[in-house]
Amino acid sequence: MRDDTSEFEFEVSCKPDFAYLNVQVPAGVTLKVESSAMACMDTNMKMKTKMRGGLGRMFTGESLFINEFTAEGAPAEIGIAPGAPGDLAHVYLEGGDDEIYLQNSGYVASSVGVDLATKWQGLVKGFFGGEGLFLVKATGTGDLWFSTFGAMIEVDVEDEYVVDTAYIVAFTAGLDYKVSRVGGYKSLFLSGEGFVARFSGQGKLWIQTRQLPAFGAWVLPFRPVKDPG
Amino acid sequence: MEVELMHQPGNSAARMIIPAGETVTAEAGAMISMSSDVQIETTTHKRGKGGVMKALRRMLSGESMFLNHFTPGANGGEVIVAATLAGDMMVYDLDDEELVVQSGSFVACEEQLDVDMNWQGFKSLLSGESVFWLRIRGTGKVVLSSFGAIYQLSVDSEQIVDTGHIVAFNETLDFTISKAGKSWLQSILGGEGFVCRFNGRGTVWCQSHNASSFGRNLGPMLKPR
Repeated sequence: MRDDTSEFEFEVSCKPDFAYLNVQVPAGVTLKVESSAMACMDTNMKMKTKMRGGLGRMFTGESLFINEFTAEGAPAEIGIAPGAPGDLAHVYLEGGDDEIYLQNSGYVASSVGVDLATKWQGLVKGFFGGEGLFLVKATGTGDLWFSTFGAMIEVDVEDEYVVDTAYIVAFTAGLDYKVSRVGGYKSLFLSGEGFVARFSGQGKLWIQTRQLPAFGAWVLPFRPVKDPG
Repeated sequence: MEVELMHQPGNSAARMIIPAGETVTAEAGAMISMSSDVQIETTTHKRGKGGVMKALRRMLSGESMFLNHFTPGANGGEVIVAATLAGDMMVYDLDDEELVVQSGSFVACEEQLDVDMNWQGFKSLLSGESVFWLRIRGTGKVVLSSFGAIYQLSVDSEQIVDTGHIVAFNETLDFTISKAGKSWLQSILGGEGFVCRFNGRGTVWCQSHNASSFGRNLGPMLKPR
């Protein structure tokens, strides 16, 4: 896996708060893009909607569909904006056992050579993990872009590292994780940290500096009160 | 501890590098990630000092009732913390002094500092606005967050600041909380519920946006509860 090569000419602007992706797609080439993330494109760009791997996406509230954009007859440009404001990262998968796991809502776009599979993380690993219940496993050869809510922090894990499950964005296959509670049982209910993922092994981990569920919970008390009449 | 602020000012986070033998206290829910051998202890107040009344006061202040105490292992460790809303962060190094902090802006501090409610707080039933502040006392670093950007006001005689825009201020300042307009009706209709009138010499750290105003803008677009 590397970040210094790409099948496409692309530019990420307005980092780290409002990252926006612009990709130049050569004639006849197809780019896969998360449903509803396309912001603008050239007129010779043709869109096809495809079902995407696994029912897992249904449970996570993500769209079951993915859009494929093909530049017909001539090169075409496409502008892609993730749903939540934040940062955006790019990696190039080199095939073989090169793998990266993404939090479901982190996926932005990829080349056709990248296979995406939704993986259920199982009761032990993912049950209390919220977002981590399903992960997207990306394999194959090609480009992959993913986004965060808030800024992005890259961590090179060499031994072990602990992340609150709500802040995990992506991690490489060299890392294994276990979801556990922090501290004692008192901390489980009162610390506000809930569950954490304890990563082990060697690899790279991407985390975000904000989390959507917490923001949603912050907004809730401002809802109007239902008129009893 | 050493603090490195990252990704300022939009979605800031603070990396706190904690040497072995030190403990850092953080607001419940503020932790993003940490070294694997950091131990967490959750208490209602200072470690080893329970106190139901203190916990109750913290609950009243709109802060969650609980604090997490992070203690690294033998080689030290790091803890990354951030706030819920978008905005900047700052570090203030207290030198045997007191800092008054708006309760929602408190993120973390070195454990030897005393975090307490100085005032019982103040809530208007009419405007729904509340004023709750924490008093942080002692010598050590405190990490604060803001909603939006942070700017400083140096006060050397008098200054009026809307309470919703205060992040923190030096205890050297005297203050009174009052209405912004001439009458309560004007103050409430004008949306400027409470203001703080500062007097004396000191610094007030302000946030560019008022979180409650943002919430009130969003609220009507949501389903009634």
